[in-house]
Amino acid sequence: MYYNNKKLILSIFWLVLGIALMALSIAEVLDSAMYSGMGGALAAVGFLQIIRNLKYRSDSSYREKIDTEAGDERNRFLRMKSWAWAGYIVILVEGIGVVAAMIAGQHTIQKVLSYSVCLILIVYWCSYLVLKRKY
Amino acid sequence: MKNRIEELRNRKGLRQEELGRELGVSRQTISSLENGRYNPSILLAHRVAVFFGMTIEEVFIFEEEPSCITTTKN
Repeated sequence: MYYNNKKLILSIFWLVLGIALMALSIAEVLDSAMYSGMGGALAAVGFLQIIRNLKYRSDSSYREKIDTEAGDERNRFLRMKSWAWAGYIVILVEGIGVVAAMIAGQHTIQKVLSYSVCLILIVYWCSYLVLKRKY
Repeated sequence: MKNRIEELRNRKGLRQEELGRELGVSRQTISSLENGRYNPSILLAHRVAVFFGMTIEEVFIFEEEPSCITTTKN
């Protein structure tokens, strides 16, 4: 069962939080347009998830489709592979960014990107060690 | 890895979608398996073999890579 009550409660939470952020931003309690945008995005995600959750409960063919997709081992494999690719690409782009920032004399950006690359590598090695123990 | 899934599925008169439903995977997974683009886990391979009433070796054709082949000297 992919969509359960826990997911429905979480979706309602995102929707309420999003609406609250938008309302506070409109009422100028929060003085940044960023909160309004963030609230709108959260509310939209929450709303869509609630619709999906309700459809999942009422439509048996949709439920079967979602459950198959969620449990499909090739889908899981593709998701894992995508995360790995995303990691490689981020490191590569940041590495290029470090060199570009160094050439452009943007030392703050260079430092931030370098730290970010280091952080990703540390997280990678920690994950590797944890998984090595587990499997 | 080559396999006989398409042949066995056709013999049973099933569509990819129907076989996917029986095995609890998507139609795309069946398609990828048949084309040899995706190698299944041992669990899925077992489920496929059981579904067709065969052994894993009868459904999946394992070809050893040249680097894995060990030679014995007489």
